[in-house]
Amino acid sequence: MFSYTFHWNQALKALPQMLDGALVTLQVALLSMVIGLALALALTACRLSGNRILGGFATAWVEIARNTPALFQIYMAHFGLGNFGIHLSPYTALLAGIAFNNAGYLAENFRGALKAIPDTQTRAGRSLGMTPVQAFRYIVLPQMLRIAFLPVTNQMVWAILMTSLGVTVGMNTDLAGITQELNARSFRTFEFFAIAAVIYYLIAKAVTLAARLLAARMFRY
Amino acid sequence: MKTSVLALGLVAAAALTSQAHADKLDDVIGSGTLRCAVVLDFPPMGSRDENNNPIGFDVDYCNDLAKALGVTAEIVETPFPERIPALMSGRVDVGVASTSDTLERAKTVGMTIPYFAFEMAVTANEKSGVKSFEDMKGKVVGATAGTFEAIALEKQVKEWGAGEFRPYQTQADVFLALSQGQIDATVSTSTVAQANVKGGKFAGISVVGKAPFDTDYVALFTNREEYGFVNFLNLFINQQVRTGRYAELYEKWVGGELPDLTAKGVYR
Repeated sequence: MFSYTFHWNQALKALPQMLDGALVTLQVALLSMVIGLALALALTACRLSGNRILGGFATAWVEIARNTPALFQIYMAHFGLGNFGIHLSPYTALLAGIAFNNAGYLAENFRGALKAIPDTQTRAGRSLGMTPVQAFRYIVLPQMLRIAFLPVTNQMVWAILMTSLGVTVGMNTDLAGITQELNARSFRTFEFFAIAAVIYYLIAKAVTLAARLLAARMFRY
Repeated sequence: MKTSVLALGLVAAAALTSQAHADKLDDVIGSGTLRCAVVLDFPPMGSRDENNNPIGFDVDYCNDLAKALGVTAEIVETPFPERIPALMSGRVDVGVASTSDTLERAKTVGMTIPYFAFEMAVTANEKSGVKSFEDMKGKVVGATAGTFEAIALEKQVKEWGAGEFRPYQTQADVFLALSQGQIDATVSTSTVAQANVKGGKFAGISVVGKAPFDTDYVALFTNREEYGFVNFLNLFINQQVRTGRYAELYEKWVGGELPDLTAKGVYR
């Protein structure tokens, strides 16, 4: 039995506040992707370097990031580090947690993309007189980014949805945080959560569309 | 023949209509189980003992209520933010969850008369230098999301125009953050503050004073339209006080001066 009368007019009054929260959500997600991409490239380089310590470090990172819940990673960034006297604000902890997670998944995307490029291309480049770095830079890297582009977009959508976990570490300025707070004050749970769900959906959809348009422009033959 | 069919039909119809009119009070008595939403990280109102069994004032209160109804009690652990979804989705019948009876919330759920009253205390990290409520100005403070004190404290921080407010999802997270120094101070009910400071799980924190917020009267809640059930609950709360059971439970779980549940000069 579901006995609840919806008061939409009351809930919609809070829409501007929720849209402000959506901006913070988008900002955290974007920043986490920028940091995550940089880290993922570094991790990929570590794995390709042939150095056992660097390779082991990168593998450990990817393993932990991909095989533990994002909730755990964010919680650890706040309360885990807090135990050792390192105090990250909720915003920083959330950003760090998601960036850590992104880096792991993106590094794995890059690895898959690299595997899809035949070795023979590098060798062909080398026989044309390119140095190994040049062969990587001009032949492998552009193709790798192209193959990895759509999985990266997926990760961006994930990052947006993961920001909602910030409430567990006291984040109250993003969309999920503001929704929780409005809910606590008025108990109009279902209206606020429904509005938040629609906003999340629209942001994710907009990101996917933008990525598709960008891909169509960038990857023209 | 025809008349007997007609009579049977009438009896069946009467049975069906009386079914349709059963309200929540009937449903609870009929099902033999009373499902209470109780917050179990909110000692001494609700917590778990070493064997993971729910204990606390609210747990005993729910058991008393079930006994009065002649049914068995089922404690449904419900974190603060999930009290209303639990009620609305029919997972619980009544909230015995230290819920402040604000007018804003009464638009959504049906509140009873107060069954308990809290005073607010400031607990601070000993390194923060916070010695009173006023010292919290400009500091990083936190409280449990969705509680009376969280709403009041956040408003206060905005009025001060300095410092930062952080809502955490559980009371345990607030005290963890406080003992780690992530936040400098918190406002919580004085019962919770005492229980956590004495409990010894969190080091380096102490209760430094009272917070000048209004007395936080808390009520039981159920669906807004269930007048029959709300009536029963109101009488039950009244009887708990009259029979001295309220004082007995208060002494058992909290101790000290018994808070008055009536507001002077006004009827409820």
